[in-house]
Amino acid sequence: MSRFILRRILLSIPTLFGVLIVAFLLLYVAPGDPVESMIGERADSATIARLRAQLRLDDPLPSRFGHYVARVVTGDLGQSYITNRPITQDIRERFPKTLQLAGAAMLLATVIGITLGVLSARRPGGLADRFALGVAYLGISFPVYWVGLLLILLFAVTLRWLPPSGYGSLRFLALPALTLGMRSIAFLARMTRSAMLEALSADFVRTARAKGLNEWFVTFKHALRNALIPIITVLGLDFGAYLTGSILTETIFSWPGIGRYVVNAISRRDLPAIQGAVLFLSTVFVLVNLITDLAYAKADPRVSYE
Amino acid sequence: MEESRPLLAVLASLVLAGCGSPGAPSRHELIDSRDNYDPRSLDPALSTDVPTGRAVGYLFDGLTRFTPDAKVEPALASRWDVSPDGLTYTFHLRAGITFHDGTPFTARNVASSWYRALDPKTKSGAAQFLFPIKGAKAFNADSAKTISGLTVRDDSTLVVTLAEPLAIFVKMLAMPVAAIVPSNVAGNFGEHPIGTGPWKLVEWKHDDYLLFAKNPSYFDGPPKTDSLRARIIAEPSTAVAEYESGNVDILQIPAIEASDWIEDESKKPMLMSTPALELVYIGINTTRGPLVDPRVRQAINYAIDINRIIERLIGGRGTRAAGVVPPALSGYDSTRKAYPYDPAKAKQLLAAAGHPNGIDIELWTSVTPIYLRIAETVQAYLNAVGIRTKIVQRESAASRAAARKGQTDLILKDWYADYPDAEDFLYPLLHSANKGAGGNVSFYANPVFDSIVSASRHELDEGKRNALYRSADSIAFNDAPMVFLYFYNELYAVQPWIRHFVPPVIFNGQRWTDVSIDTTKR
Repeated sequence: MSRFILRRILLSIPTLFGVLIVAFLLLYVAPGDPVESMIGERADSATIARLRAQLRLDDPLPSRFGHYVARVVTGDLGQSYITNRPITQDIRERFPKTLQLAGAAMLLATVIGITLGVLSARRPGGLADRFALGVAYLGISFPVYWVGLLLILLFAVTLRWLPPSGYGSLRFLALPALTLGMRSIAFLARMTRSAMLEALSADFVRTARAKGLNEWFVTFKHALRNALIPIITVLGLDFGAYLTGSILTETIFSWPGIGRYVVNAISRRDLPAIQGAVLFLSTVFVLVNLITDLAYAKADPRVSYE
Repeated sequence: MEESRPLLAVLASLVLAGCGSPGAPSRHELIDSRDNYDPRSLDPALSTDVPTGRAVGYLFDGLTRFTPDAKVEPALASRWDVSPDGLTYTFHLRAGITFHDGTPFTARNVASSWYRALDPKTKSGAAQFLFPIKGAKAFNADSAKTISGLTVRDDSTLVVTLAEPLAIFVKMLAMPVAAIVPSNVAGNFGEHPIGTGPWKLVEWKHDDYLLFAKNPSYFDGPPKTDSLRARIIAEPSTAVAEYESGNVDILQIPAIEASDWIEDESKKPMLMSTPALELVYIGINTTRGPLVDPRVRQAINYAIDINRIIERLIGGRGTRAAGVVPPALSGYDSTRKAYPYDPAKAKQLLAAAGHPNGIDIELWTSVTPIYLRIAETVQAYLNAVGIRTKIVQRESAASRAAARKGQTDLILKDWYADYPDAEDFLYPLLHSANKGAGGNVSFYANPVFDSIVSASRHELDEGKRNALYRSADSIAFNDAPMVFLYFYNELYAVQPWIRHFVPPVIFNGQRWTDVSIDTTKR
């Protein structure tokens, strides 16, 4: 197992290097200029030229890339052109907040989604199944934006139960987590249902029932365990996506996470911030994938990485 | 992210059905909702955006400052004398002022602050506003070791010599970049600022809020309220929800939603309006193809029914522009008539310019929803007279960069004043010295216009200066280097428990010092 982990980590190095190259080149060909955001609307060309020179923006591309890589391998992501703050400090401030939001969303998704899925599969076509289907349709077809604003309207503005936006205690976390987790709830409910239906009709379930095991035990211990692989896949992919791209939710709820940071950096062409954040988030994604793979082995003893 | 606005109209009607207005809060904290992105820094030298500029205004003082209605008044300088040739300014500074950390403020701080802002190592993007000081430009370009125009006479007197007379110099000193910081600031000054201003920084949670506490020893008397929180709310719809919930005290209503608020009787008492120093216009690149001919540019102006755009798209929140000088500033000429909507005349002018079959042009715009709507409307009007228009939509950094490089035929954009003076419209937008990055994306170059604007900058007599502004504006109006759209009138919603809030005409004109909360108000 540890050899597998080591190999995967080593393999991720070329992946991340690729990410670095793409992030670097994409920004180079994209229109816009970081100096534009440093000077505001009224500037003189001498100032622009001097700032470009100070930021080494006019150096040849390979030399700029070389400088950047040399710094990154020492763990230094550089300083923002716009704010002069170290990128690592910015990420350290924001990522835990995104992690918190994504974690809460996944928790909601796991609890609600899997419960709905199991209940649906227990009696296909029954009341629970039809309710879960409704929830799934809504969750998948409503855009995040719409859901977020509706939740704010209902729970914050009209009922006054929760604050509309901002970062803080659980009260602040509830609405954005639900908004972000909505799609996963829907997806997991459907995925769990079909995986459970398949598992419940399998021979080993019939055997378990024939042994006289109680239905609860059969459902959770035998069937659900066997239905876990697709569920883990969905969880892993969604978690990775939430950690790296909960931009809309963060924007609607003024959640000071990394998604908004990246969007701001892009709109100001803050190259070090964009590159640093993209590199960091890619690393996170690779790690989440690795953990997902390890979870497969945990869930299904037939999966082995030795 | 921006496409939620039409949706909000629907939501707003639901909100109205859903709730009454909240009662007065018991807090002793003012809460602002206007910032929609995190300030760059709290370092005055780095202030090039509105959230930074506003915060710098809370924390720091300049030698002068703006009132909410955009008049310039003394701040750290109690008065100043100007030599008859307009070149030498002697500033007499207030005594007994201390920075937030207790160190006394003296004339040396003024000199060191401006040295710092102009130092190339500071990488300020706004240092050019101090270039009028003799020797400042050379120092900024690293070709001089000192700034010859700055002399500290004694602790309370500073003598500034200008490179050439500049009537509006004292207005420039109220800009964030000219604010006074302590000597020897730390490397993380942008995070931990120390000023002399009415508010001290308590904490800054990035992308969340800035919290300020009143400075009890502020020289002008401490602010009326204990603390001030500037929340950073990225999404306008969310700011509206926070306002509806009573969690924020003021709201800047997005142009696209203005009519919903104006037409709602229950909201009317909360609304406040102020002429923003914002010109919305379409820059016409006067060096590209058929646009070189003024008749073609006039034709474009005649072809568009701008009154209808103001009425239908921004809820009547604009004053029709007939030139670049806003009605709120001296130098505005109320007798000048805007180009009327006259498609027949437009076609006639096009034909006279040798384009009876029309022309093909590109209209650039940013992704801001209101601008896209205006661009589409303009496109329809232009197509109708044979000016076949293609819309090019880019996000604002990219469209601005293209316009500065002269790659756009037409570009829909706005211009906010840095300081309240007609010069800040005429000179950057249309003087040939500012082609491209300086603000003149029309690449307009008219020697007569240039000489009048240059003369107005040197003219010390206010009456004569205003006359020069008017005549320059009139020349530009006839040459039509842009489509003169409108000056936006900002619309604010202010909670009923807020006292003495005056919406600022200039972005750093409201420092919340007189604003208070009436906690008895239900």
